[in-house]
Amino acid sequence: MTISSFLDPKVLARIDNLELLAKTVVDGFINGLHRSPYLGLSIDFAEHRPYMPGDDIRRIDWRVFGRTDRFYVKEFEADTNANFVVILDISRSMDYASQGITKLDYARYLAACLSYFSRQQRDRVGLITIADDLVDFVPPSAKHLDVVLHTIDRIRPAGQGSLAGPLMKIAEATKRRSILALVSDLYDEPEAVVRAANVLKNKGNDVIVFQILDPAELNFPFDEASHFLDLESGDRIPVVPEQQREQYLELMNGHLAEMSRLLIESQIDYFLFDTSQPLDHALFKYLSRRERLSRVR
Amino acid sequence: MSFSFLAPLFLAGLAAIAIPILIHLTHRERKEAVPFPSLMFVRRVPYRTVRRQRIRHWLLFLMRVAAIALVALAFARPWLESSTEAVASFARSREIVVLLDRSYSMAYADRWSRAIEAARGVVGNMGPDDRATLVTFSERAEAATQPTGDAAVLLAALNSVDVGAGVTRYGPAFQLAHEIVERSDLPSAEVLLISDLQKSGWDPRSAVRLPPNTRLNIVDLSDDDAANVSVPAASITRSRRGGREEIIVTASIANHGPDQLSDVSVALIIDGERVESQDVNLEPGQATVTRFGSVALPGRPVRGIVRAGDDPLPGDNAFHFVVAPEDPVSVLIVEPRAASANHNFFLTGALAIGDRPGFNIDTRRVTRLATSDLDGRSVVIFNDAPIPGGDFGRRLTDLVEDGLGVLVILGRRSPPGAWPSDAPDLLPGSFGGPVDRAAAGGGTLGYLDYDHPAFEIFRAPRSGDFSAARFYRYRRLEVAEGSRTLARFDDGSSALLQRQYGDGGVMMWATGVENFWNDLAIQPVFLPFTHQVVKHLAGYREADTWFRVGQVVDLSQNSGLAEGVVDGEVELIIESPYGRDRVVRPARDTWLVRLDEPGFFEVRSVGDENDIRTMAANLDPSESDLATADLEEMAGALIAESDGGSIAAEATMLSAEERERHQGLWWYLLAAAITLLLAETLLSNRVARVAT
Repeated sequence: MTISSFLDPKVLARIDNLELLAKTVVDGFINGLHRSPYLGLSIDFAEHRPYMPGDDIRRIDWRVFGRTDRFYVKEFEADTNANFVVILDISRSMDYASQGITKLDYARYLAACLSYFSRQQRDRVGLITIADDLVDFVPPSAKHLDVVLHTIDRIRPAGQGSLAGPLMKIAEATKRRSILALVSDLYDEPEAVVRAANVLKNKGNDVIVFQILDPAELNFPFDEASHFLDLESGDRIPVVPEQQREQYLELMNGHLAEMSRLLIESQIDYFLFDTSQPLDHALFKYLSRRERLSRVR
Repeated sequence: MSFSFLAPLFLAGLAAIAIPILIHLTHRERKEAVPFPSLMFVRRVPYRTVRRQRIRHWLLFLMRVAAIALVALAFARPWLESSTEAVASFARSREIVVLLDRSYSMAYADRWSRAIEAARGVVGNMGPDDRATLVTFSERAEAATQPTGDAAVLLAALNSVDVGAGVTRYGPAFQLAHEIVERSDLPSAEVLLISDLQKSGWDPRSAVRLPPNTRLNIVDLSDDDAANVSVPAASITRSRRGGREEIIVTASIANHGPDQLSDVSVALIIDGERVESQDVNLEPGQATVTRFGSVALPGRPVRGIVRAGDDPLPGDNAFHFVVAPEDPVSVLIVEPRAASANHNFFLTGALAIGDRPGFNIDTRRVTRLATSDLDGRSVVIFNDAPIPGGDFGRRLTDLVEDGLGVLVILGRRSPPGAWPSDAPDLLPGSFGGPVDRAAAGGGTLGYLDYDHPAFEIFRAPRSGDFSAARFYRYRRLEVAEGSRTLARFDDGSSALLQRQYGDGGVMMWATGVENFWNDLAIQPVFLPFTHQVVKHLAGYREADTWFRVGQVVDLSQNSGLAEGVVDGEVELIIESPYGRDRVVRPARDTWLVRLDEPGFFEVRSVGDENDIRTMAANLDPSESDLATADLEEMAGALIAESDGGSIAAEATMLSAEERERHQGLWWYLLAAAITLLLAETLLSNRVARVAT
């Protein structure tokens, strides 16, 4: 079996153990990357030495300079890690699959992989699940990977997904600057989502938005006239797909374009995935973002 | 086995199936509800009632549809095609598109000669009604010929094309092939890909599905277990020792082959002389880093090469770079009349240790300033000192307009009344009396514009914590029109303002840097923050030591080349590493040059042959990875077999008898259609009788 087929969400759905799944995906993905000659960031540090011309001036310990009037370099800087928190939307609209796996399962795999991957980067990992309100909260910690994975494992879809309220609460609750990965189908008005995401960003957090949709939501491939059941509200309305498809697609594409535009204007990273895409696409997007962050450190 | 059609246009007859469908049209509504994640958008679409009809006489309907389909298929003349047989010739005229990979990896061993041979073979096998287009591609695709049936034209084009230095990208090539096939009026189409099938060039997201009934042939030129060593990257670290600039070169050496390599020689060559050599061991598929000893820079640019190993792909065994000596940034610090001995202690301490770039610092009392103190300066810092008026102020304003940077630091010795009236025009804002936050334990910085170059490096978590600094006093700033607020205190008042004035910039910082009104000066971020601000005000840009092949370089923006050569309306001559000369003329003050070969490019102005500037270009490292793409994945993305497309791994010919044998299927289809129509007649008569 090739790595690419191992990243196929349908294949992953056969793995029961979430940690094993995350390890399989991330290790496979990392092994693939390690053949690249570009990788190779440093590092554990823990001692001082006098400054030498050529040293990175950002590593100079300015406090020591203030006390001693001499330049010392923190050649080995204690590993102070970043907070990485996944904000996972578990509303009932996520419990949908036209084929293969549900959006919620895809989001669970993605959340597990990102958390596992971030832990490998020595970040502190945490998790917040949201529906109408905050549901689960696992504070970021270097020891919380197991708790995060366990919490992801026992997630059940619940409630209606109104994002703005829960995100505002998260903004109030987070004290320390973090990398926040929002995984959701974003069924909300783009302005409300972006307003809430901006509050998170303006508190110094790095916000990355992963929108997960099913191929059927993007293509509306239905043929037969029938009643459609809203998974969140339970409402039923009659639908004639062949007459309504074109306008539905216009509205959906307009929604996606507006969401993308507003998030990009706010300098928030935004990625759209459908559940048929392999998980390494999402990991690669996240890794690119993470690489960019670490390059300026 | 799969079907293909000799006359696919007759398949349009299948549209006639619409007739019985319209006759038997139905809209049946499902009884059970269809679950859907959110009806947010569906609700917004107006609902219209559907007219419901049911199909009667299913059997009749199916017979009519089947008969029409069989007739259309029979006229389209289907023929059987074996998936194991490689087939490249048809009994009808073809639109052939030859996609010839000329990326740098095709220079490996004899790949290029095999590619040309394969292309010639296709031209030689063209039928009298066939038409072919030669498309060469690397990161871009170009049609070397128009669609033509003239073999001589195609062979002449093949003789003139050579392997390039670009990186492989299949997307543009297949896009061009798609356009050519779609424009064609010939009954069948064939796309022939001649390539080493490098995996790095294949991106399924950019794949273009070829039009229906297009046949894709692939000539695979990849080698099993291809060995290749490359130098994908090198970094140059500068330092100063005893007033002399030195560089340390660190290079990454990669082994892309399947075998372990021992004692691979890695050499550092400066200005043509081998200055150091090391032997390294390379694991298969791994890279290692080699660090050379320091090399003193003479007072002129030097050319460097890191060369590793020897293999059938020589271009990526060398990494080229050019290092020019760097002038320090000249900074004038102006201190107030009654400055203490330690007034500039933290400021000068922070700037004294920079080496990328170095800072040349002079300090003057504001009372002893002369206009000549401004000569040759890149940045002037008024550290709690007023900007003088008179000749000095006018000269300063002129220089700022021409690009000088000014940083105004407001502290306890900067009461608004002490400032001359002719300076404010330059400033990004006005300022007032001090705000005292000492009683509340001091304020903090509440907002930083991380998009601004002064703060960009602090954007990421763990890259600098400004929130630790406490500000006990600062001056209230009023932002002038056209200025920008780069930082604010937690009470919302401005901390750092910037104004663009002509080509220069002026920044105003609302509090001192003496560790008196605040403790920013003893925070870790102070040093990089000071460097970033001064570098930004000085317009400092680190010179590029090398570029990538394929990169378009604006010579007017490249500091190593901008001075001297680019000034004035002159023409430049660029000599490429392969010895090809070309003349570049300015267009809207830009001098754009595409670097299309690895090695050193020499730039000189017409009429001045002595003043030569050099640029280094290196191959894209992804071209060094010779791993091959998954053929099935590639075929799956490009060809839909359901649309009549097909794929073969090489090209061969079918005999006329074989072709005829494969095409006899239409007789059976026609016979089945006639039988069905007869049965339909009988059945419909019977139904009509029952109805009456």
